[in-house]
Amino acid sequence: MKKGLIVTVILVWAVFVWPAPTVCFANEVVGADTDEKLLGDESDGSRAIFIHLIPMYPENEDGKKGFKITSDDEVLLPFSTRWTCEACHSYAAISKGWHFNAVDSNVAPGRLGQPWILVDASIGTQIPLSYRPWPQTFKPEQVGLTLRQFTKLFGRHTPGSGAGELESRDPDEFTRELISGKLEINCLACHNADPAQDQGEYAIQIARENFRWAAAASCEFACVNGSAIDMPDTYDPFMPMPLDDPKKVPPSVRYRENTFDQDNWVFFDITRKVANERCYFCHSDLDVGSNGPERWAADEDMHLMAGLRCVDCHRNGVEHNIIRGYEGEEFISANPLATTSSCEGCHTTGRLGAPLLKHSHAGMPPVHFDKLSCTACHSGPWPREKTGLTKTSRAHSLGIAGINKSPEVLPHILYPVFAKQSNGKITPYKMFWPAFWGTVKEGKVTPINLEVVRETIGIILAKQKLPRSGDWRILTTEHIAEALDSLQKKIEGKAVYISGGKLYKKDDKGKLVTAEHDAAKPYLWPIAHNVRPAAQSLGIRRCEDCHATDAPFFFGAVAVDSPIAEERATSKEMIEFQESNRFYTWAFAFSFVFRPWLKIVALSCCGILAGVLLLYALRALACIVELLTGRG
Amino acid sequence: MADDMNNMFRMISIISFVATILVIGICCVAFPCCKECRWGPLAILRRIIRVFTMLLLEQKLSPVGALRKLVYLLALLCFLVLAITSFYPVLVLKEPIHGYWLILHATFAPVFAICLAVLAVMWAGNCRFNKSDWPWLKRILERVTLTKRAGEEFSNECFGLGQKITFWLIVVLALPLILSIISSMFVLFGTHWQELLLDIHRYTALVFAIVAILHIYLMIRAKMGE
Repeated sequence: MKKGLIVTVILVWAVFVWPAPTVCFANEVVGADTDEKLLGDESDGSRAIFIHLIPMYPENEDGKKGFKITSDDEVLLPFSTRWTCEACHSYAAISKGWHFNAVDSNVAPGRLGQPWILVDASIGTQIPLSYRPWPQTFKPEQVGLTLRQFTKLFGRHTPGSGAGELESRDPDEFTRELISGKLEINCLACHNADPAQDQGEYAIQIARENFRWAAAASCEFACVNGSAIDMPDTYDPFMPMPLDDPKKVPPSVRYRENTFDQDNWVFFDITRKVANERCYFCHSDLDVGSNGPERWAADEDMHLMAGLRCVDCHRNGVEHNIIRGYEGEEFISANPLATTSSCEGCHTTGRLGAPLLKHSHAGMPPVHFDKLSCTACHSGPWPREKTGLTKTSRAHSLGIAGINKSPEVLPHILYPVFAKQSNGKITPYKMFWPAFWGTVKEGKVTPINLEVVRETIGIILAKQKLPRSGDWRILTTEHIAEALDSLQKKIEGKAVYISGGKLYKKDDKGKLVTAEHDAAKPYLWPIAHNVRPAAQSLGIRRCEDCHATDAPFFFGAVAVDSPIAEERATSKEMIEFQESNRFYTWAFAFSFVFRPWLKIVALSCCGILAGVLLLYALRALACIVELLTGRG
Repeated sequence: MADDMNNMFRMISIISFVATILVIGICCVAFPCCKECRWGPLAILRRIIRVFTMLLLEQKLSPVGALRKLVYLLALLCFLVLAITSFYPVLVLKEPIHGYWLILHATFAPVFAICLAVLAVMWAGNCRFNKSDWPWLKRILERVTLTKRAGEEFSNECFGLGQKITFWLIVVLALPLILSIISSMFVLFGTHWQELLLDIHRYTALVFAIVAILHIYLMIRAKMGE
């Protein structure tokens, strides 16, 4: 009886009391990972700059936090932004930010943005890639790019993380990943206030596969030599052994003199107020050719000229969920300032000194606000008779030494194209015509692995000269037909070529035919900057800036870009991108010829009506006076 | 916000038009224009044909009279087109006037404005108010001023009091109606004022349309009574 009681007590204790501390402990651990705010995650309210005199930590061979870097270390390792900054800033939270979360399929893609454009002029390819599920883009793996290859190609114009921090799914690349390391978030890319921060160097390190060293190489107090790409698969960067080939230099870092203080702490010149130039490294664009001026002759965005910075509108908290600033972002963004940080957000409330909308736009019927985005009149260049070419940092590697500066270099991005966006408003866009070799299965076009394309049709297309300018290799329909025949033998499904808005394929009789297809449609993304002031906005001169029978806004030519000779001279009309009736638009524009007459006639009629009213009002008054005075 | 305003205007418009039609209907039944009016199908058809014959130019009309009628008929046509192109999209399609509706509207608007101006000049004399329009007012004035005159009644009036009131209302309302939309075409008013002008235009148009309908009804009624 007594034994039974003891056993019962023990069982009760085991079931109800003992697990309690275990659960509590488990909760604490979870809390430490997710909820606990680190020193730098939450502001204490001070607007002063926190001085970042801190110890630097590398990543060790296990991918964890290494020992503090000191000037006396035998093998100097590059500091890891993750392990150095994570002492005070939640790296996990930051890595969910817009600049780093493209690979996260759970993130809402929002409005269409600029994709990564993979270009290979030798095989007539310029194709939009993105890990975000934007329509008309393809996942990099669809063209045969691994995470690592993608990072090597495009990591140059990223602040790290994203694809560069994911573990490769390709076993062959696993050893290379151990050598090159991961491309961590490069906090310094944006937050380093030192003028010697060099993103061009960062890009060079990425091209050398020095992912682990890239952030350190970009900063002002470190210098990186060597190249991970040259290292054999057996190379261990944590215990480097001398190499057989003296020409091959292993990646290594040196820290400049006086980098470390007496405690081996290092000063990082960190700022919350990111300079515009930091943004510009990835977000510059250039107007190409005779249409546009050189940089020195071009004006900047008027908000910047007024003294604002990019980050005054494009704000974020510790989670780095930066505001993109487009209309409707508030419906998908968790950023509480998304509503008030659009054009309308400031210009209806006067925030940041913005001129109020209700006091401006004299003479412009309010219907324009329903049919046009703010950028239609205020952003990018004025509409032109024919679209021009533009270059962007990310598409053309701007800001990196040794790039091809030729105006014709691929990809060919056309602008401004005034097209209707998903909310029904006409917006200025940049666009390019996708060109790639693909296969059709059940009506869906998917690109063929680029390596397969190069191997199969490289020789056929090599008959044509590849221009030094970086322009297309001019192809003919005969080349396309021959290349499709060759590809057909290597792939399943129907081989096709997409270019210039058309799908090229062989029909049942073996004849090359063209067809319309969604995959051939141009890829467009909206232009937001540079914003022009009211005095330079579209329509400032007169309504006929847009409402004329030959106004480029509606009737301008959008060039069709293609490597195929027959297509290169063709163009489409802007109205085709606006889903509007051409005759109606023309007729409406034509009616503006009579607008001055309408005003004259209407005002004259008003004058007559007012005259009649006045005359008879005076008569009535006379009658009343006569009646009241008894003389009537 | 804009949608709320549009919905409010739509509701007000519907209520106003329905009320106007009801008033006219009640008036037709309660105060028939002719003695011993019949309501059989044939009688109604006869009246409809009569209304259509009113559109024709009578032979007895002088050239000026014919011109006046032609202008009136043109104004009537323009009014119909303008009313349909403006209210049909708003009331039925539930969308603001745009597209071909707008082109038609803007095409007929200046013609209507000219017709109004011409009619104002031609009809103003006939539509002057006089003492016979308000005998009760005359009596009050006579008592106030202690004067009494006899044998001064106007007897050659071709317009009733209702027609005169609606005529002058049309002339008065035409001014804000035209000026509100024309002034918005000049680079004078910003967005806030543009919205206000548009509201003035559409609400004035609503009142104008109701007054015009009443005017047309009274005209028909007067002609039928002759």
